[in-house]
Amino acid sequence: MLTKIAGGDIIDPVNGRLGKGDLWISDDKIAAAPAAGAADRTIDADGCIVMAGAIDIHSHIGGGNVNTARLLLPEQHAAHQARPATTPLSNAGWSTFQTGCLYAKMGFTTVVEPAMSPGAALHTHLELADIPIIDKATLAILGNDDFLLSMIRDDASSTMIEDYVAWTVASTRALGVKVINAGAAAAFKENVRTFSLDDVVPSYGVSSRKIVKTLQAAVGSLGVPHPLHVHCNNLGSPGSADTAAATIAAAEGLPLHLAHLQFYGYGTEGKRRFSSAAARLAELVNATPEVTIDIGQVMFGQTVTISSDVMRQFSARGSAQPKKSVIHDGDGNGGGIVPYRYGKDFYGTMQWAIGLELFLLIDDPWRVFFTTDHPNGAPFTAYPALFELLMSREARTEMIAGLSPSAMALSTLAAIDREYTFEEIAIMTRAAPARLLGLTDRGHLGAGATADIAVYRRDDNIANMLGQAAYVFKDGDLVVQDGEITHYRWGKALRLNPSPDKAMLRRLEDYHQQRYGLSLDWFDFPDSAVAREQPFGEVACRT
Amino acid sequence: MAVAWIGNRETLVERAAAHAAALLGSSRCPVFSLDTDIHGTRAAIALAERVGAAYDHADGAAVSREAALFTDKGAMTVAPGETRRRADVVVIVGELPQIHHQFVGELAETVPDLSAPDLSAKNQREIFLVGSNETSAPRLSNGRTATLLSCGEAGLGATLAALRAQWRGRQTSQPVSNFDDFAKALEAAHFPVFLFSGDATDGLALEMLQGLITDLNRKSRASGLHLPASENGWGSALASTWMTGFPLRTGFARGFPEFDPWRYDVARMIAAGEADLHLRISSSIVQPKKKRNRMALIALAKTHEPVAGAAVTIAIGEAGVDHQAVVYSSRTGSLRSVDARAASELPSAATVVRLVASHVSAEAALPC
Ligand SMILES: [Zn+2]
Repeated sequence: MLTKIAGGDIIDPVNGRLGKGDLWISDDKIAAAPAAGAADRTIDADGCIVMAGAIDIHSHIGGGNVNTARLLLPEQHAAHQARPATTPLSNAGWSTFQTGCLYAKMGFTTVVEPAMSPGAALHTHLELADIPIIDKATLAILGNDDFLLSMIRDDASSTMIEDYVAWTVASTRALGVKVINAGAAAAFKENVRTFSLDDVVPSYGVSSRKIVKTLQAAVGSLGVPHPLHVHCNNLGSPGSADTAAATIAAAEGLPLHLAHLQFYGYGTEGKRRFSSAAARLAELVNATPEVTIDIGQVMFGQTVTISSDVMRQFSARGSAQPKKSVIHDGDGNGGGIVPYRYGKDFYGTMQWAIGLELFLLIDDPWRVFFTTDHPNGAPFTAYPALFELLMSREARTEMIAGLSPSAMALSTLAAIDREYTFEEIAIMTRAAPARLLGLTDRGHLGAGATADIAVYRRDDNIANMLGQAAYVFKDGDLVVQDGEITHYRWGKALRLNPSPDKAMLRRLEDYHQQRYGLSLDWFDFPDSAVAREQPFGEVACRT
Repeated sequence: MAVAWIGNRETLVERAAAHAAALLGSSRCPVFSLDTDIHGTRAAIALAERVGAAYDHADGAAVSREAALFTDKGAMTVAPGETRRRADVVVIVGELPQIHHQFVGELAETVPDLSAPDLSAKNQREIFLVGSNETSAPRLSNGRTATLLSCGEAGLGATLAALRAQWRGRQTSQPVSNFDDFAKALEAAHFPVFLFSGDATDGLALEMLQGLITDLNRKSRASGLHLPASENGWGSALASTWMTGFPLRTGFARGFPEFDPWRYDVARMIAAGEADLHLRISSSIVQPKKKRNRMALIALAKTHEPVAGAAVTIAIGEAGVDHQAVVYSSRTGSLRSVDARAASELPSAATVVRLVASHVSAEAALPC
């Protein structure tokens, strides 16, 4: 089937296409304009902008910890709408089904769950398979697991470590690797309560830095397109900007991605000893081209923090609102669920401002990524409002008027003029994520690309415009019209598939027998276990 | 081999499914009770939305107590693998379901692999049992027995409360037996783990246990290992939670999912005569209770004959025996894929439920 999206303003920075024109879709791919012949279907995009489908690189949408958060907070997501005729379960509050629908309505077509515990890979993929419409991907968590820490302690060869990382990525069907407060979850099990980059995990004698550097090297050597995704130590504490700065310096010329930098943008100035270090971090990021970051923007209101940084979550339990939490010591990281309400008080204002400062002070939209660390800084449903804040200084000024003046006095935000352009938004939310994840088939509108397309009707109200797409295509299927889902389809989980080394498989079999009294197949699963027609899509490693 | 019946009359699966769908379609208050794998649960919830049913585990009370610990209070928990690797003190809280006894036995026979020197000297984990003289404990090897922590005639909740108070240095009206041994073990412990289940443990006791674990974590580490009363039940609770946002005892009476552990207690709904149609999905053959009302029964069960009193019976296979399946595993603390041990032609619960659902008229395709 041939579709023509006619007369929209096309914004495709990758292919240098900016301005009014037609975009053609042939079945599931974007196509060049045909020499002759008419479209089977024409979409009138006059007065609209046309971009590739958006890609979210860091959003906690499924898996053990996310589900535990749902379980902990039934009162927070009661549904009120009747059963939808065409999209079953999509009105179930905070369900997998609702997640896919809400993302699609905003024009997002690929979302990465960034914290998959390897032991819960099947559970994670089952949840992702019940998220309709969009494609998904996962990052597998390493760096607090006994097998890796023991190998580092025992000076295992880099080849052996790479074999283990490759096995983990392959068996868990991941697109990349994440390390979360490297070593801290293992240390917490031995009653360590704070942990920094050069602290050492008891029983292993391995420093956090050593774990990060080891994984960074392995990910690079294996040709995993996405650089090691790092959740640094000391998240959320005053002075954590020093930890972030030290981690940025530790990139040492090799690619490294730092997650939710906002949560580390904290200095110790002012009488509350909590201030913005965003300008300092932005300068460091600007000067360190091998580093990419995402923000983890805070927006005001009720949310729940879901993190595999179990040490941090344990220490945050006292601030739980409502007063309940789950802390889980897992095989590797485990995790913690702590509900939280961001108020417009000094601390909330500070965090909100720091996120925006980072967005606006980091120059290169190819290296800063649009996230709220859903749901940690805010649920992803806050994205339209966040786009507006980035694209309108006036919107920021209005917002600031209702916030804590003493916090704003410690931030440079009010003095920043920058407004993101649509082209920059297209880079930050489309082109750059595709490149960062190694997804060459998307993030742009060139011929041959997957037909993931978002069409937005121009509106002075940016939140309305970007919150409800006029049309969304996923793999060439029209899935959204006028901000409403028109039908379900089932996306894939994008994964790498490096072939595991046989000797490593034997080692792991022995290890699992000895440590858990179970054979390795207790931890593996066939694709058919996911019970969807084509649950996975393969992405190539760099060669 | 016959696989489907309408009443006592043998029929084709297709016809039985259509008849079941017609009954569901005309039911005023259908209820489902589940004892099935993940995909069976997913299919059942999709059907429940379509026909406005409420659903629960077949033995819903224990699963509901476990879910309530999380929905109401939260918890500190540990993975079974880390328990095996690190627990130097193991505390069995009350009576554990039989399915977990083997794991407890394994804990008694193994030592933590990150063991501290003082533990390796003794070369075994210290094992305690909170309960009464009547509490039956898993059998341990080498004639070992767990040290009993009991408080006279007091129930589990009160015993745990006394344990917690004594640990905080408070006076209690009746001291806990062997408390000094327990205190000494905790002082030396690196990672004590409390094994709990909702099976024989009420909500108050589960809450009191979490209070004790919280107290211990002020200065050192400790956690709880959740050993579910029913693996199928906990698996269904997890799938329900991602599909609807809520655990079991959720109903679609008003078209959207509502979680109400009292109102949608399916056993209660049946006993109170609220339900007029019962869909029971369980590979094990459950002898139906004596019928007390005119409620119709649709039984999906591993059976060669019609279930007595059922309006419709359709034979299904057993997960992990007749067909490959995904189930909750208390050994890994997560979902696990299991191969068919003795593959047969019997369809899975999911297949049959989907077939039934396909006969209920709807605009959209089933979501799973
Ligand atoms: Zn995150």
